[in-house]
Amino acid sequence: MFGIGVYTFYNYVFSEPTKVINIASEFIGQSDEFKYLFTEDLEGWSNKVVEIKGTITGIYDNGVLLDENIYCQFDQNTDLSSIVVNKEVVIKGKVVGFDELLMEIKLNQCIIIQ
Amino acid sequence: MKRTNLIIIILFTSIVCNAQKYYTRSGVTEFNASEKAFEPVVAINNSTTAIFDINTGEVVGQVFIASFEFKNALMQEHFNENYMESSSYPKAIFKGKIDNFSKDRLKTVSEFDLVGILTVRGKEKKISTKVLVKEINKKLIITSNFMVKPEYFYIKIPSIVQEKIANQIQISIKYELVEKK
Repeated sequence: MFGIGVYTFYNYVFSEPTKVINIASEFIGQSDEFKYLFTEDLEGWSNKVVEIKGTITGIYDNGVLLDENIYCQFDQNTDLSSIVVNKEVVIKGKVVGFDELLMEIKLNQCIIIQ
Repeated sequence: MKRTNLIIIILFTSIVCNAQKYYTRSGVTEFNASEKAFEPVVAINNSTTAIFDINTGEVVGQVFIASFEFKNALMQEHFNENYMESSSYPKAIFKGKIDNFSKDRLKTVSEFDLVGILTVRGKEKKISTKVLVKEINKKLIITSNFMVKPEYFYIKIPSIVQEKIANQIQISIKYELVEKK
């Protein structure tokens, strides 16, 4: 009994933050729809996990731009070799927020679902 | 007449400046508030946006507080909810200038002075520090370290954890900037 208690307590106090892949998405759909919902509530989406379908319009060192103004940053060890511009993809990631400096929506810890 | 000239000059310089901006979306900002003998209080943010104008030396940086990642989920939760109140103050912003910046000095690692205003939790604090800049493969690699104190930004540390959190917090940055086209 005591052992279980200690184990649960230990897990609670020392557990790592949950990975994006294990978090249920709060939005699944097209990028246009997401942009619309996001502009309705700029702060409210922060830290929520979303799954967005869109077209890649730019490829950078460790991320891609989805439909001009959604920037999706990948984990550093992600293989981006299969990604090409104009390809349609579904990306799951965590919303960071609205980047006012570059005027785009920013996601990180992204993974390519499809 | 003078005013039109001025407007033309401003327009012209802004066009020139536009062509000489460097930026990143994935700059690394790290902080360390660890006290010896206690659990490390360290977090890393690898989604920092920074823009640097190499003609004027002006720098703007922005981090989202909630995207600082800790090894420990509970610590991350406390950081966001109790100390930084990231839902009310989602961003930290730095606006400043690198003095005497010169592109000719970038072949080797060069040190420059960076002065600016750091805004955290809506409170402003002047920061003066040194930055190291080097150009590698058309990328500008900027690194720096500086210290801040929680009281600069009115962050209250409860007395029960006070001895576990350093009163001088070290911020380290490493940004790899590419030219903005």
